[in-house]
Amino acid sequence: MRLDALERHSEGGSGPLHRLDPRAKLIATVGFIIGVVATPSGAWRALAAEGLALAFAVGLSGVPPRELIRRWLGFLALVGFLAAMVAPGHPDRERLGTAAVALAIVAKNSLAFLAMMVLVHVTPFRALLAAMGRLGVPTLMVSTLQFMERQVHILADELGRMVQARRSRTFRRSGRLDFGQLSGLIAVLFLRSFERGERVHAAMLARGWDGTIRTLDGADER
Amino acid sequence: MTADEEISPSAAAFSDKSGIPAVRVEKLTYCYPDGRPALNGVDLTIRSGESVALVGPNGAGKSTFLLHLNGILPGTGRNARVIHSHAADGSKSDGKAGPAVWIDGLEVNARNAPEVRRRVGLLFQDPDDQLFSTSVIEDVAFGPLNLGKGKAEARRIAGECLARVDLADLADRPPHHLSFGERKRVCLAGVLACDPSVLALDEPTANLDPRGRRRFLALIRGLGCTKLITTHDLEMALELCGRTVVLDAGRVVADGPTLAILGDQTLLEAHGLEMPPSLKAGREA
Repeated sequence: MRLDALERHSEGGSGPLHRLDPRAKLIATVGFIIGVVATPSGAWRALAAEGLALAFAVGLSGVPPRELIRRWLGFLALVGFLAAMVAPGHPDRERLGTAAVALAIVAKNSLAFLAMMVLVHVTPFRALLAAMGRLGVPTLMVSTLQFMERQVHILADELGRMVQARRSRTFRRSGRLDFGQLSGLIAVLFLRSFERGERVHAAMLARGWDGTIRTLDGADER
Repeated sequence: MTADEEISPSAAAFSDKSGIPAVRVEKLTYCYPDGRPALNGVDLTIRSGESVALVGPNGAGKSTFLLHLNGILPGTGRNARVIHSHAADGSKSDGKAGPAVWIDGLEVNARNAPEVRRRVGLLFQDPDDQLFSTSVIEDVAFGPLNLGKGKAEARRIAGECLARVDLADLADRPPHHLSFGERKRVCLAGVLACDPSVLALDEPTANLDPRGRRRFLALIRGLGCTKLITTHDLEMALELCGRTVVLDAGRVVADGPTLAILGDQTLLEAHGLEMPPSLKAGREA
């Protein structure tokens, strides 16, 4: 199970958004998300304008809308649950009604999510990390994200191999793993991740790491 | 030569001209955190420029031994605990036992760790343990940056080391886009970038296809530094190393010229090893 699909559009793309400075894209996306979050519930015209702006960005990015919709549908289950939980107790419920508040929650979260999706589809993750570093995001946070990105790929490969091995010893028609099998796999994956972390740490120490993350990004300090 | 008989190199044959061996290990003992013994009084001396193969069955303690050469695991003459300290004063050693490992005469301890780690380049068996950066060049430059090199200098060194392993054109690629063999070579470049005097290689040819293996062997052969190679690939030991040490159950059970050790069928079988096919064929012919 490889996660290469996440990078299919960001690496090697040549659209106008791909060519933009990653810092500008990051700032624009964060600004857009803040704008969406700050839009009051019930301000449907403002939300529609933000949706139109995002649709324009999607058009410029060259990302297939089908890909975005597929990911959004996955996200929708989560945000739908969130809306169902939050809307009944929301202060705007008296004014707008529960359904409208729930719809506003879904719409705002979806716009923010899709904006993030567009950003990661037009910017390689490494460029995003470098942009974060240049914008003054703490090194510890950037380094943590860097580790996460690398390890997510390794763990996804590992999980893929484990699922394959388990299926090869499962004699049923359905290819789905039941809850017991899945929880066992996750437990083993957790233990392996822990051991992997120990070995990665040892390998970093072996190359002189003293606890400070140094990267090639930026100019020499001296 | 039998399995029970310890084969020791003569002191004269393995003494360094300066009198200071590249690696000196004395009575190294180490237990895993769960109390199982891993190394049980290992003695080993390697002179500068020597290539030594460290062979033995699975679980013999070979990889654990390598981790002691640069202080990742702090073995002493007594049982020791795992230390993963990266601070110069962060050692948790009990301080009761004397040192067990010296590199170029420098005692391996928490205080000397930065210098020892510069001198000993450790190549891990699984390249995914070693590669953690988002691009190949960043990963190779990790060591030089930690050694205090400037960014431009570190980039130059990383570029040169990648060229040495024929991967200069992959500098900007993320590691997970590389094949296993390429990742292994990137790891070697990352180790070489620290300009070590001692190379400790953990199963360098494991999981490589024949072409990748040949390429890796050629690379290792071309390196002039002292080499300690743990391996199950006895053909490689025969090809690259003049001396072989057999480790079993945390003890050195044989140490001598590679031809003599790998030609001793009884010894090899007693310690879960097998005579390399090329040697066997030569004897049968």
